[in-house]
Amino acid sequence: MNTTAAAPRQLHVYDPAMCCATGVCGPQVDPVLVRFASDAQWLEAQGVAVRRFSLTQNPAAFVENELVRAALTAKGESALPCVLVDGRAVLFGEYPTRPQLTTWFNVTPSASTCDEPSGGCCS
Amino acid sequence: MLLVSAAPTVLPSSLAPAALADFLTAPTRFLFFTGKGGVGKTSLACATAVALSDRGRQVLLVSTDPASNLDEVLGTPLGNQPTPIPAVPGLAALNIDPEGAARAYREKLVGPYRDKLPAAVVRGMEEQLSGACTMEIAAFDEFSRLLGQPEATAAFDHVIFDTAPTGHTLRLMKLPTAWKGFLDASTTGNSCLGPLAGLAQQRGVYDRAVAALADGDRTTLVLVSRAQKAALHEAERTSGELAAIGIRNQRLIVNGVFHATSADDPVAAALERRGADAVRAAQNFLQRLPVTEVPLRPHNLLGIPALRQLWSGGEARASAATTAAPALPPLASLATLVDDLARAGHGVIMTMGKGGVGKTTVAAAIAIEIARRGLPVHLSTTDPAAHVAAAAGEIEGLVVGRIDPQAETKAYVDQVMATAGRNLDANGRAMLEEDLRSPCTEEIAVFRAFARTVAEGRGAFVVLDTAPTGHTLLLLDATEAYHREVAKRASDMPDEVVQLLPRLRDRAFTHVLIVTLPEATPVHEAAALQRDLRRAQIEPYAWVINQSFAGSGSRDPLLVARAANELPYIREVVEKCATRTVRIPWVTDEPVGPEKLRQFFPSPPPPSP
Repeated sequence: MNTTAAAPRQLHVYDPAMCCATGVCGPQVDPVLVRFASDAQWLEAQGVAVRRFSLTQNPAAFVENELVRAALTAKGESALPCVLVDGRAVLFGEYPTRPQLTTWFNVTPSASTCDEPSGGCCS
Repeated sequence: MLLVSAAPTVLPSSLAPAALADFLTAPTRFLFFTGKGGVGKTSLACATAVALSDRGRQVLLVSTDPASNLDEVLGTPLGNQPTPIPAVPGLAALNIDPEGAARAYREKLVGPYRDKLPAAVVRGMEEQLSGACTMEIAAFDEFSRLLGQPEATAAFDHVIFDTAPTGHTLRLMKLPTAWKGFLDASTTGNSCLGPLAGLAQQRGVYDRAVAALADGDRTTLVLVSRAQKAALHEAERTSGELAAIGIRNQRLIVNGVFHATSADDPVAAALERRGADAVRAAQNFLQRLPVTEVPLRPHNLLGIPALRQLWSGGEARASAATTAAPALPPLASLATLVDDLARAGHGVIMTMGKGGVGKTTVAAAIAIEIARRGLPVHLSTTDPAAHVAAAAGEIEGLVVGRIDPQAETKAYVDQVMATAGRNLDANGRAMLEEDLRSPCTEEIAVFRAFARTVAEGRGAFVVLDTAPTGHTLLLLDATEAYHREVAKRASDMPDEVVQLLPRLRDRAFTHVLIVTLPEATPVHEAAALQRDLRRAQIEPYAWVINQSFAGSGSRDPLLVARAANELPYIREVVEKCATRTVRIPWVTDEPVGPEKLRQFFPSPPPPSP
């Protein structure tokens, strides 16, 4: 399965310090993290290059990106997550919703009708 | 049953003649010693390492126990790099200290960014890298480097691991399989394994570590047990679980087997009978693998000369020089302690200490005694080797429960899937399920169950026997991290979790009893545990010295020698460690079940202040 993406489209997310993408390691699972982890995977299946950087795993990425470093210096950790679309900062301090993602990347909202877990038709 | 004795002692006729164990005569490259805490695996691993070095082999001895006492046993200060042991040519030893490894690991990741990122951000990173999983991962990283990277141990003929108490060992050893599966399946890139930067590059190392563990030509697993039902049961459980993940080249050592000098000493006869009964009860298990018997010794194995004697059989018998029972400092009885505990009317009583010191037995005895006074009691355990149900039985007013890690994990996963996972599509659910298979999930699920149980202490007595030391500390560490997390971010965290640490710190609500045996290692580890508790601002209420032979009345030379050896450690507890000390004498009947546990409360009560 593939969607049309004329120009290279990238979503880069700079996550706050946490140990896993869904946040299940914390004492209480944050539904927003779980939802976004799922949405990011869905977006990737639509042909968007999604990358997530973890502050604990990959701090170098935070220092190297001018926008992210400036936001961190100004606002501290509340600047995170920092969301970049094709290198442009579009969101600070919160995760995008699926409607926001569909708008930014011009993909069909209901594309994910597949019931198979990863390894099925969507992968 | 192939039962060989390590030393030429008088053995019952049913046992095979004395011979050295095959892991000494034809050792594999890797040797793992594992077993319930306090069974003597550190001593046996050390004695094996010394014996192989004395035969001209180059040997590396490794401890992965968070509460390692390898320094003490070898008489040499150790670090996380191989340190030559001067008295034993060819032997080097190292300690994988999970906290130290985690600290080094954290510094490796965070250090370079201290001056590049705001201080608050750096603190956040450090906090995230201070959890239980970072410690597991850092220790495992070291462990698999030794196992899966040939060049790391190229200078040695043999690598001997003195592994952590069983629950920890199992996690450590199960991880390679779980993670290998995880690496195969993971597509998101972020995971609990996160702190392991460059995980993909490590993959070859993990693969080789897994292969080495499962290869019987390279790896021997030596299960260490005592001639006690609970210890043998635990060894059988470990044996099955490790065999299931591919580690099938297994041996068993039954350590500390006692043979009475003469049949007319009732205490000695009872001790021997208890051992024989336990061995008989485990007959089916003992027939499945080669078994080596190591006799009980009059002295604990500390220092190189004592270690050398273990496999050569010297010093197995005490001289009959001392036959007089030594004088004991006056100590309170368990009954007096229960009187004081019962006065509060409710609250949490926690028995803590190294595995194998009798935390569960002491917890069960206290719970039953409180229940007998007509007060409602909930007895609960987080010990994976739970035998609380066997130790308690039916008493009015007493409810016995177990924090079962598997059941708690399943319930927690189901709850997360039903709440956070409710509105996800199939892919999202699959990914969440995958993350929930991480090693942290069990830690969290058990922790929440623990918090729930402690909360019950508001209206009744809750008696908890906690898991072995390392695990307990991880739980407390997790508690602390969660507490900070809670303070930082208001969430729909269950109230009992929010209240846990304040409750554990409230000396009117929680009474911590440190349980130990009157021996060097258990006392020193208990003292270390007390220091750790104090760091978490938890102050123990009393120390309980369990299974004391002093004053048992035995005239058996070996037991008299052991009783005399207890004294310095009893004094150490009274003078240096405890504000209040209780001594439980060794009892002739194994204290299992309500009736046998009453032996701890003799009537008339013993003279005590």
